[in-house]
Amino acid sequence: MNTDEWMATDDPRARALEAALARALRPPGLPPGFHARLQARLARERAGEGERAASRAHAQRQQRECLAELDANYLRLRRRTLGTLIGGAFAAGAAVAVALPWLQASFGPNAIYVLASVGALVGLGIGTASWVGRVRIPNPLERL
Amino acid sequence: MQPAPADAAAQDRDIVALLQSGALEPAFQLTLARYQDKVYRLCCTLLRDPTAAEDAAQESLVRIWKAMASYDQRASISTWIYSITRNRCLTAIARRRELASLSDAAVEAEAQAVGGTDTEPADPSGSLRALVDGLPERYRRTLTLFYYEDRSVREVASMLAMPEGSVKTSLFRARAALAEQLRRRGLDDPRHWLESSR
Repeated sequence: MNTDEWMATDDPRARALEAALARALRPPGLPPGFHARLQARLARERAGEGERAASRAHAQRQQRECLAELDANYLRLRRRTLGTLIGGAFAAGAAVAVALPWLQASFGPNAIYVLASVGALVGLGIGTASWVGRVRIPNPLERL
Repeated sequence: MQPAPADAAAQDRDIVALLQSGALEPAFQLTLARYQDKVYRLCCTLLRDPTAAEDAAQESLVRIWKAMASYDQRASISTWIYSITRNRCLTAIARRRELASLSDAAVEAEAQAVGGTDTEPADPSGSLRALVDGLPERYRRTLTLFYYEDRSVREVASMLAMPEGSVKTSLFRARAALAEQLRRRGLDDPRHWLESSR
């Protein structure tokens, strides 16, 4: 006997059990105040969603500001470039220490100007060389 | 009578249309009006405790509200809602078991509550209900929801995610088990069943 047959049966016991079950298993109604409590819960969730969205936006803005500040305060250099700069500075210092007595002996009080001129020439040379590489100015030395 | 799922799906087209047009709040209010009772009844059936059922039903409805925007129509609205509700109830049951495992007294009390159907209840009107509560869980759920949902096998199948054939089999076996228990207790006179359930 399946469910449909059970419900359609003429057996008084089956029909009585069916009726008794229908009475015993009445669907429960929603508890009093269910809807109000649900609406309150939804309102709290909505408020929470708003707060979460606001704090997320605030955190993102702060992160952007921190990154911009870092970007503004820091100079990015390749490791090779930094090494060249430090090495060049030490080498220049050592060269001046070695050459200064000889320059003073040869040029007297003008030694300091000669030293400054040589420094300026070396600086200009390095600068020009870097621009030659960057903007692809034809290098006249390559033809030789 | 409750609408069959095909009818229910047709009935839920308005909710789907609202969702597609981006009207989430009206869609949720319509869903709430249509399903909050069913969600509560499903929770009552699965959890057996009205307080826990209300809490689970409310939490399920809040989750439905939150997930409304991401409903992708892979399943019907009702299937989707029942799935969220069942998952919430399963979580509540697992949590209850965890708490019970911490307390031997609670386990003992629960064992007494579950096994208490062997003794005849003092109130004769509760005898049939007590017998239903003593049925194996699968049969109890199916039988209870069947009467809660106005004898709709399809609705029960949708709520419990079971094939309709399995629901019918469970119903048949549940009734047979009930009839056998009543017979064993000498309560198989139809007049007694009708009187005891009043």
